[in-house]
Amino acid sequence: MMTTALRYCLLAVGFGVLVCAAAVLHLGASASDELPRVELSADNIGPRQIEDLTSKSIPRDYALAWQTMAQALEENRTDVLDGYFTGFEKDELTQRVKSQLKSGLHAKYLDRGHKLHAIFYAPAGDAMELRDHAQLDMQVSDGGKVIYEEPVTVDYIVIMTPGADRWLVRQLQAVQGEKR
Amino acid sequence: MRRLITGAIVLLVASVAQAAEIHPPAQTTAGNPISIPSSGSGDATFYLIGPAGASKRQVQAGSDIAVDSDQLEHAGRYVAILCASDGCASSSFFVNAAAPNRLSLLVHPSRVPVGSGNGISTVAFVFDNFHNLVLQPEAVKFSVQPKGGNEVSAEREGKDGVAWVRLTSAKKEGPTKLGAAIGHANEIRVVQQVAADACNLRIKASRAKNNYLIETDPVRDCSGNPVPDGTVVSFTMTDSAGKTTVDVPIKRGVAKIEMPIKGRARVTVASGVVTGNELEVSGG
Repeated sequence: MMTTALRYCLLAVGFGVLVCAAAVLHLGASASDELPRVELSADNIGPRQIEDLTSKSIPRDYALAWQTMAQALEENRTDVLDGYFTGFEKDELTQRVKSQLKSGLHAKYLDRGHKLHAIFYAPAGDAMELRDHAQLDMQVSDGGKVIYEEPVTVDYIVIMTPGADRWLVRQLQAVQGEKR
Repeated sequence: MRRLITGAIVLLVASVAQAAEIHPPAQTTAGNPISIPSSGSGDATFYLIGPAGASKRQVQAGSDIAVDSDQLEHAGRYVAILCASDGCASSSFFVNAAAPNRLSLLVHPSRVPVGSGNGISTVAFVFDNFHNLVLQPEAVKFSVQPKGGNEVSAEREGKDGVAWVRLTSAKKEGPTKLGAAIGHANEIRVVQQVAADACNLRIKASRAKNNYLIETDPVRDCSGNPVPDGTVVSFTMTDSAGKTTVDVPIKRGVAKIEMPIKGRARVTVASGVVTGNELEVSGG
């Protein structure tokens, strides 16, 4: 009798451990689903002053752009680029993903946050230029083998333009950077 | 023991000497080929990861690795990686934009009332031949050419790849060409200058059978430009029965309406924020 009870008890504990392990694994996987941290400063913007709503939309949409770019480069998917990229930047990233596919490469960006400074807002409100001070852990793998891994700080010059319900990244050009 | 340690050091130094290394230039200009010196020996794989491409090919470690100009057309950060049997070595470098030769010109609005102070904004983003933003300060020449008038131009220095100017629209309606030029690029947009709000809006009344025909004089703005057809003019009649307002679009320069008037009535006219004269009429 006691042996049966002990057996059920052990089974229950084992099941509990399995559930916990699955939860931990799931939490680990969803960590990369978190939006990158973006801090926007618009103190030196001009000639147009930034609107309250725009000052909220820009960091949100820029973070989503980075999230989708990281996903595109890690999973070699071009479809996710449609949401937050446009113009030549979208073409460039699409080209990058296609060449990664061709070479069997994958790039992984672990995002450590962005300090975004708005420097120009067109008088008609139809374009904004920003500088981003980004901290990233970059990793490139060929097949399953990691061939490059480096924590870097990179400065980007960014042009964003408004779309129907969001701001889109039209230009994302790295201008300087260094190993952290 | 001493021999053993010495042997280990020699082996370590030898292995370090054999390790593949790669030394790209710290910076280069978009569209220029480069040669990347490498060290080490034997077969190796060379990877080049850039903003718009990721390539992989077999090379000999220790030789100079040629990178074609078409692989370096996009400005940004590149990572060169050399993987040999003893591991991978990497180095990053930057490709800067080439000389300015393209413009992306944003002009707003496409239609503007005449005499509108700073009413037209013109923004030019400066790019090289490969659509890279040129961040070095460069003078952009903005020009305005009204229909039948002389061209007026002014230079503005671009900062962080952008130059802009605000313009006041002319006094005379019609199309105006706005241009921006740099290098071989010369972009032109056309802005239609239209009449501003009506000015000196006047109405007159005449008998028409049982009604009154209320008609405006030709509707013009303060500079004498005819206000475009379709612009709405509001006629308001106030009599003993109350107030009646009718909106009428301008047709062939004037707005008119037939109003049945019984007894004494007052008729006023307005277009947008502009009000005109007032008429007292009496019907049968």
